[in-house]
Amino acid sequence: MSILSLLFLEYTKFKKNAVVSLLSLMFVIMLPTVIFIGKEFENVPPPLPNNEVFFTFPMVWDYLGYAGNWLVFFFLGLISVFIVVNEIGYKTFRQNIIIGMTRKDYFLGKVYSIIAISFCAALYYGVIAFLIGITHTEDWSMSQAFDNSWAISRFFLMSLGYMSFGLFSGFLIRRSGVAVLFYLCYILMLEAILKWAVHFRFFNNESINFYPSNCIEDLMPLPLYRFADLIPKKDIDFNFLLEYSHAAMGTSFWITVFLGFSYYSFMRRDM
Amino acid sequence: MPVLRIEQLTKSYGKINAVDNLNLVIEKGNVYGLLGPNGSGKTTTLGIILDILRQDSGTYEWFDGQYGERARVHIGAILETPNFYPYLTAGENLEIVRQIKGASSVNIDELLDLVNLAHRKKSAFRTYSLGMKQRLAIAATMIGDPQVLIFDEPTNGLDPEGIAEVRNILSRIASLGNTVIMASHILDEVEKICSHVTIIKKGKLLATGPVGAILSNDITVEINSDNQEQLISALSDRQYINSIVPKKDWVELLIDESTDIKVLSKDIYEMGIIPTRLVARKKRLEEEFLEITKNA
Repeated sequence: MSILSLLFLEYTKFKKNAVVSLLSLMFVIMLPTVIFIGKEFENVPPPLPNNEVFFTFPMVWDYLGYAGNWLVFFFLGLISVFIVVNEIGYKTFRQNIIIGMTRKDYFLGKVYSIIAISFCAALYYGVIAFLIGITHTEDWSMSQAFDNSWAISRFFLMSLGYMSFGLFSGFLIRRSGVAVLFYLCYILMLEAILKWAVHFRFFNNESINFYPSNCIEDLMPLPLYRFADLIPKKDIDFNFLLEYSHAAMGTSFWITVFLGFSYYSFMRRDM
Repeated sequence: MPVLRIEQLTKSYGKINAVDNLNLVIEKGNVYGLLGPNGSGKTTTLGIILDILRQDSGTYEWFDGQYGERARVHIGAILETPNFYPYLTAGENLEIVRQIKGASSVNIDELLDLVNLAHRKKSAFRTYSLGMKQRLAIAATMIGDPQVLIFDEPTNGLDPEGIAEVRNILSRIASLGNTVIMASHILDEVEKICSHVTIIKKGKLLATGPVGAILSNDITVEINSDNQEQLISALSDRQYINSIVPKKDWVELLIDESTDIKVLSKDIYEMGIIPTRLVARKKRLEEEFLEITKNA
């Protein structure tokens, strides 16, 4: 089946799915609105002059990107888990194969979907950041507006990273509740435990930053982290924020691992 | 021309052999009943040939490999329960099947009409009764002009009305000249619809062939008189009687196909026995099935 027909098939399957629709809607509503919470914090730490800086070029790309980081992790990531486990729960994934889809096409349908969603999310982020930027920046110019435009690519890669992990959780675990729990718990807790309770005891160096969730998060980190001097380095002697290029390479590596393992598992296991 | 060739197919779940070195050829245009007790490997076999289960060893090939890995597009199948997207309507669910099959034009209204669901076209699948779900699944199997139809226990869990409706639909489909493989427990159903039967137990093939060839040609006679003991004793030395089995209300005799029933009538008349019951019939598939699977 062609890429377009696989994407259209996935759209037909999920356009009326309540969970997927709600998660998508929440992402679309919250991305442009959630950053305005920042307006409530009038006292910002030095060296930031005031809270308006979050809404002007080029900082708006980082600030909105960081808000998007949480929203993508939660809403889009869960969509990627749901589009797998829902079909397993309804046994429609079996039925799709019985009807005539090859397992490869079925898997590719999911992968193309997360690529398409990530692409749309990144585009949406770009438009929202641009609109917030031009309405808050005085005397803005196009070159100034797009000074940080690689942020759109980083946002895309970040979305794809979270959603690949979501697919991986779904294909690996298959049971909807457990897969969702695994997805959330790994990113929110398990990785931190692995890093600081295990890895840190043996390797006190930058390799600790290359865990999957860390790589993905560092594509769109909290803007304040760039002011690294604010953070006391008592116990660590390395930068705990990855360079963008390193984060991008790490994320690409993990996307390959997640999708590769999901494919291998899906092709071999009984359905 | 064979539409399916299965060679030495084996699948185990731990220590249990679900399918054990199974060889089978399904010929075009025949209606096969796949029979076997619960857990005999029928559904596992169908699951493997429909690519949702992986065999441990052995091979299978659809249509002599003509369509490669897209062979299932040319097959309409229901395996176990009907599986559709519960929040989508019948029409939308059939549209998904159409997209997967790559069928250019499908008259969904006509299909729903065939299975008496036209009036529920716009209802969500989750609101359907089990019988309606099963009928929708049958409609889905007809999309894309399939060359082979596979039904796994198509009347399972249905009420008598649902069973009659599904049976009628299946009879109509079978009469269209399609190749059909139907796994069922209900042997009466298989006997009425199928031209061929394949019997498996513990994953092994016990018998396969046309229904007429599987059924022995012996004649079963149900006979009774006021004194059953006297009747049994009088018939026990007749050469043309292969077996005598006392039942609750009659005695069941198995006699050679070549023996005219008049010979038996004449014998008991000459012995002075007045029969209170005398019914001669061909052996039923159920009896043959029980005999074949009894010692396997």
